[in-house]
Amino acid sequence: MNWQPELDELRRREALAQELGGAEKVARQHQAGRLDVRARILHLLDPGSFHEIGAIAGKARYDDNNDLLSFIPSNCVMGRGSVDGRAVVVVGDDFTVRGGSADATIREKPLLAERMASEFRLPILRIIEGSGGGGSVKTIETTGRANLPGGVGSALGFHYATANLAVVPVVALGLGSVAGLGAARLAASHYAVMTKSSAVFVAGPPVVARLGQDLGKQELGGWQIQTRSGAVDDAVETEEEAFARARRFLSYLPSSVFELPPVIACADDPARRDEALLEAIPRDPRKVYKMRPIIETLFDRGSFFETGMFFGRPIITGLARLHGRPVALMAGDPYHYGGSWTAEACQKIIRLVDLAEVFHLPVVHLVDCPGFMIGLEAEKAATIRHGVRAMAAINQCSVPWCSVILRNAFGVAGAIHQPAGRLSLRYAWLSARWGSLPLEGGIEAAYRAELDAAPDPEARRREIETRLNKLRSPFRTAESFWVEEIIDPRDTRRLLCEFADLAGPLLTPGPTHFAIRP
Amino acid sequence: MPASFPPGHRKIFSDLNASVWRVLVTEGQFVAAGETLLLLESMKMEIPVTAPEAGTIVAILVAEEAVVNEGDPLVVMLKSTG
Repeated sequence: MNWQPELDELRRREALAQELGGAEKVARQHQAGRLDVRARILHLLDPGSFHEIGAIAGKARYDDNNDLLSFIPSNCVMGRGSVDGRAVVVVGDDFTVRGGSADATIREKPLLAERMASEFRLPILRIIEGSGGGGSVKTIETTGRANLPGGVGSALGFHYATANLAVVPVVALGLGSVAGLGAARLAASHYAVMTKSSAVFVAGPPVVARLGQDLGKQELGGWQIQTRSGAVDDAVETEEEAFARARRFLSYLPSSVFELPPVIACADDPARRDEALLEAIPRDPRKVYKMRPIIETLFDRGSFFETGMFFGRPIITGLARLHGRPVALMAGDPYHYGGSWTAEACQKIIRLVDLAEVFHLPVVHLVDCPGFMIGLEAEKAATIRHGVRAMAAINQCSVPWCSVILRNAFGVAGAIHQPAGRLSLRYAWLSARWGSLPLEGGIEAAYRAELDAAPDPEARRREIETRLNKLRSPFRTAESFWVEEIIDPRDTRRLLCEFADLAGPLLTPGPTHFAIRP
Repeated sequence: MPASFPPGHRKIFSDLNASVWRVLVTEGQFVAAGETLLLLESMKMEIPVTAPEAGTIVAILVAEEAVVNEGDPLVVMLKSTG
């Protein structure tokens, strides 16, 4: 006799696992416009690539003969698969089983996913819904004890939540209501995306109501809250878009820090010149311009992947390609405080530069920065503390760096447009202007005595401004070699592609000398 | 400011904390999509606020030199149906 009966039993149990929390719960999930966890995994991964681990782990009931009566699978579905042909680990919460709560998870399943990502050096994709394996107070009754968070045997998940960030790409998708531990697992990632119908919070509306705050899910933790706060990087309309964003994010990164970012064939001419660049920057320094079209034209066509669009908006960050090589990109956005580095912009810069350092991405900085944000609100936000942290991140990173000064570079924030202690490439556009501080306001500070003594202080101020404006031409700076090169803006793409090619051989796989923080 | 606006109206909000430098439209005026409605001033830069779609200006909620915060409504528009 062969093992057919056991095989049948295995297949039966696997089939039960396919039913998730039961037809009714699954139908409710679909009616709410959300895919179930298995459909999500299938859509997220390459077709046919999902290899599940632990499908038949769950809670079973047996009859008096010890034959299986019923089975509820763990609400953690995990395994391996591929994205664009590259192996990944995927771990997803099943909201149809006890709302994704911990008492139905089996702690070791999500843990194994994180451990496999770490030890097999594979990117991990977390599909998060519910409390993401966190407990509810009901757990006290079902287990007969309260758990100490991080207590004996339960700290390993928290270990991997940070440790994996320094080893493999961690992408998290918030799809539905994401609370507590789920919110932590979402935020503890290199890239977190949520759908616009989802909500993310430390604690949901019923708990917050105890504070006297009567808020709906969206009001408390909708995408407009969480993308503006910077807790979540991106929001999209549909789950399909979230999968596409997650896959695309991974396309710029190596599978782990022990590899280099994947270089792809480039159909876009590296020497392409865009005539529009010669007039991209308005001559009037008070007039703003749109940075994103400049980014689109400088980098490989269609390669710009923006992250954190609604947070720290004076800085645009993202990933892109130059001559097929992935790079990290930061660029000032004059539409937001003239590109001044606010406390939030500094946090965004740190996140980008640390990501670049961990995954060996050269950095391109399109500089337009009139300085740190000023004023009372800026001081209260500890702009200078976050500013010097951004400075530290930039100075500590070791990946090749190229700065192009499009317009303003002023003050300390202007000074840290590139790492201070090593050689980077730097170009200035014809429209570049710089100084310790802008003339506007700077004159009042530096020429106070002279202005006070003048019969017409305003006329004297204008006189001084005209005089200084003549002297501060970038050509005078280049004459004394304070800046290496002033370039025709139309040559920028060619020079950036050359930079990416020069940077390629310098990239060194391996862990960074620091461990990145989320 | 009237208590209510016509059905289908759309408010245009400020993207940032700024002062209102110039108001370039008047109530009742028809504007094209992309037309500049007003200029905000922030960090010595003029930030244009543009019409997201063609329509009529129903109300202007701010005056020149007023200080506005991120998220404050600036202009109320009614989308062109013609």
